Amino acid sequence: MNTLAEAPPPEARSEKDIIAGLQEKISASRLSLFLQCRLKFYFRYVLRLPKPKTPSLHLGSAVHTVLKTWNKARWLQQPLSLKAVHQTYLKAWADTTEGPVQWEPGEEEADKTTGWRLCDTYLRESHVPADLKPDAVEVPVEADLTSHGLPRLIGVLDLVQQRQIIDYKTASSTPNPDKAAHSNEIQTSSYSELYRHNTGAIETGVQLHHLVKLKNPKVVITTLPPMRPPQQTRLFKQMEAYLDGLQRQHFVPSPGMQCLSCEFFNECRRWH
Amino acid sequence: MAIKLSANYSKKLGLPQYSSHSFSASVEIELTDISQVQAEVQQLYALLQHAVDQEIQHPGFMPASNGNSPGNGRAQPQHNGNGTHGGYTPQPAADRWNCTEGQRGFILRILNENQIEKQEAEDLSQQLFGTGVKQLNKMQASQLIEDLLVKAGKPATRQTRWRPQPTTSQAA
Repeated sequence: MNTLAEAPPPEARSEKDIIAGLQEKISASRLSLFLQCRLKFYFRYVLRLPKPKTPSLHLGSAVHTVLKTWNKARWLQQPLSLKAVHQTYLKAWADTTEGPVQWEPGEEEADKTTGWRLCDTYLRESHVPADLKPDAVEVPVEADLTSHGLPRLIGVLDLVQQRQIIDYKTASSTPNPDKAAHSNEIQTSSYSELYRHNTGAIETGVQLHHLVKLKNPKVVITTLPPMRPPQQTRLFKQMEAYLDGLQRQHFVPSPGMQCLSCEFFNECRRWH
Repeated sequence: MAIKLSANYSKKLGLPQYSSHSFSASVEIELTDISQVQAEVQQLYALLQHAVDQEIQHPGFMPASNGNSPGNGRAQPQHNGNGTHGGYTPQPAADRWNCTEGQRGFILRILNENQIEKQEAEDLSQQLFGTGVKQLNKMQASQLIEDLLVKAGKPATRQTRWRPQPTTSQAA
């Protein structure tokens, strides 16, 4: 009988148990969200309030799937034709296993076209040479940071090539390199930490590949140097704040401009 | 101006019959900024210590307990027992895996439960990384696990890997 990778039926867990689990494992997205708004973190990761998938998240997932498949195929020296890439995209677009997407009327077809044009642009412009062998493609990794008094760090690296960590992002506007480096620092530092723990080597750098959803799609690559000691210190201090906040259960709202697009806006307004 | 940083790690272990063996590893790197020194030293120490510890477990030739050399000239792994260091049980090189015990166990379980030949995993490892399964580092082992799961028809996706489960609480 095959028992591998078969998830047990979901069981209801108490908040206490869930918070204990969140104290044991941390990811860049959890940490970023916690620092952005503790109440939003609470709704998403502790209460786990179900919300429909946003169109931009769906588009991003489909693009990620295409790039993962393309990178994997060239790694195995079985490069995909454009037709095969397109079929992969269509299949990824039709995949709703993560739940339904909340589309506005007429929005789905337009987004579907945009997503494909992003993939097409990225591959045509050869931002990653097809004959360059990856070190890893969408690999899940973790690092035990208990020696620093911190939890286990988990994450998925989109692409590692020549010891450079590459992360794909879809964006609606052209990113500013300095701002992109700052706003993604938790993620890039986390990935550097994960890479070092799992390979015993220091990364040559990190690249953010932004696929920008413009009328004429474009790719913006932000190249960052290896993580510096002050960045690692910042990351560890942020993790300490995360652990401390979870311990105290201070899940308070952080009202601001970012709330306009928050899926928990209504729940937040009712909080007291 | 480039700054050169040299690091050396050395370890000496006691062996039976008052003998000992030692091993050291050195590395020299160039830095662009003096502020990198502390982190680089920390990283190099961990790397060199790990590398030396991996190798020093294999003492090679050792005098037999009666003071004579073993006739076959091969190492006779045994505990030191003289208290100069923590007892260790050297593994034959052929049995050592570079990845974690958990990854090793998981790889073997995937093969066992899905009737995948060890040679298939070995071939896949060679194709992807140009090295055998036992030589894979943790990141490579993780990648191999992903690919073996795909081969077994049980791919772990981003979504299912950390899929949230319902709670007993309700939103306010």
